[in-house]
Amino acid sequence: MNTMEEKIWNYIDGTCTPAEQEAIARLIEQDEVYARKYQELLALNLEFATMELEEPPMAFTYNVMEAIRTENASQPLKAAIDKRIILGISIFFVFTILALLVFTLANVHISGANLGAVDIKLPANVKMPSTNTFLSSPFFKWFLIFDLVLALFLTDSYLRKKNAEKHV
Amino acid sequence: MQSKLSDIELIEQTLAGNQSAYADLVKRHQRFVFTLAMRFAKGREDAEEIAQDCFIKAYRSLASFQGQSKFTTWLYSIVYTTAMTSLRKKRIATDSIDDEDTYIQVENKPSGYDTDNVENKSRSFYLNQAIEQLLPDDATIITLFYKGEQSLEEIAQALGMEANTVKVKLFRARQRLKEKLERNLKQEVKELI
Repeated sequence: MNTMEEKIWNYIDGTCTPAEQEAIARLIEQDEVYARKYQELLALNLEFATMELEEPPMAFTYNVMEAIRTENASQPLKAAIDKRIILGISIFFVFTILALLVFTLANVHISGANLGAVDIKLPANVKMPSTNTFLSSPFFKWFLIFDLVLALFLTDSYLRKKNAEKHV
Repeated sequence: MQSKLSDIELIEQTLAGNQSAYADLVKRHQRFVFTLAMRFAKGREDAEEIAQDCFIKAYRSLASFQGQSKFTTWLYSIVYTTAMTSLRKKRIATDSIDDEDTYIQVENKPSGYDTDNVENKSRSFYLNQAIEQLLPDDATIITLFYKGEQSLEEIAQALGMEANTVKVKLFRARQRLKEKLERNLKQEVKELI
């Protein structure tokens, strides 16, 4: 059940039903206690509405826009890095799959006169390339250099991102 | 000089790449956003940080604003969430936000006001002083209702509450504000005597 004060506040705010509104209006008109409370709360309501807003610092808008500009400036770089990384990974996987395919096909013996009687023989011993030769090959050295450059590139982009976040 | 364009028009211009339109939006709403931030923050510096963060967040997700509610309602919901997160981060007693006894109220004196000069103190000074003594939730609801041009439903939307809950909270907040206002005025009268 609503208290008298609650009822009057609802009446002042206009948040009660038309029937309640009418009933409260009648009470205010006829009951002196209600009338006094109504005047008190009405004055309070007017006073609350005079509350002052705080004033932000002079450079507030400038600071917000500067933060936004910094964020926007770092965004295209981020997008470019992301695309390149994705492209690099895709190229790596495509080359790996192609290399595996070529290696497998080179080791498989296919014989037969027509397509209906194709005889595919897998070799008993697959000759894997020697590890020692592979590690000392120029291809492996270039692969390591590429990894190193990629690692430096990713570290740089990570640090740039962190720096931009710090400024925002 | 602030733009005469509506909030929606300024948002459309911002989304089209006109950053100065967003600067106009910031200018238009900065006082209210800063005031709301002050209701939660320890001081002006913290409030500035919260308010700035709100406008940056709003800018980032401006494209997601559907225009189904007022821009201010949407903006104030960001302010409320950001301020609450900031409060939690700073370990101010937010878990007991309804428990007035455990809330540490730090003074936020209005800038440029000589508190020693009793003659200069107006009713509005005492009102602001009393608001500062309220819990952040109470002060926010009161501010949104009286200064934010928000209906109970809009306040509920901004704060993520039911409209009825907001109504009850508003009633209690008014009672507390009235008590604090009376107490502060009585104290002042005693000091004068």
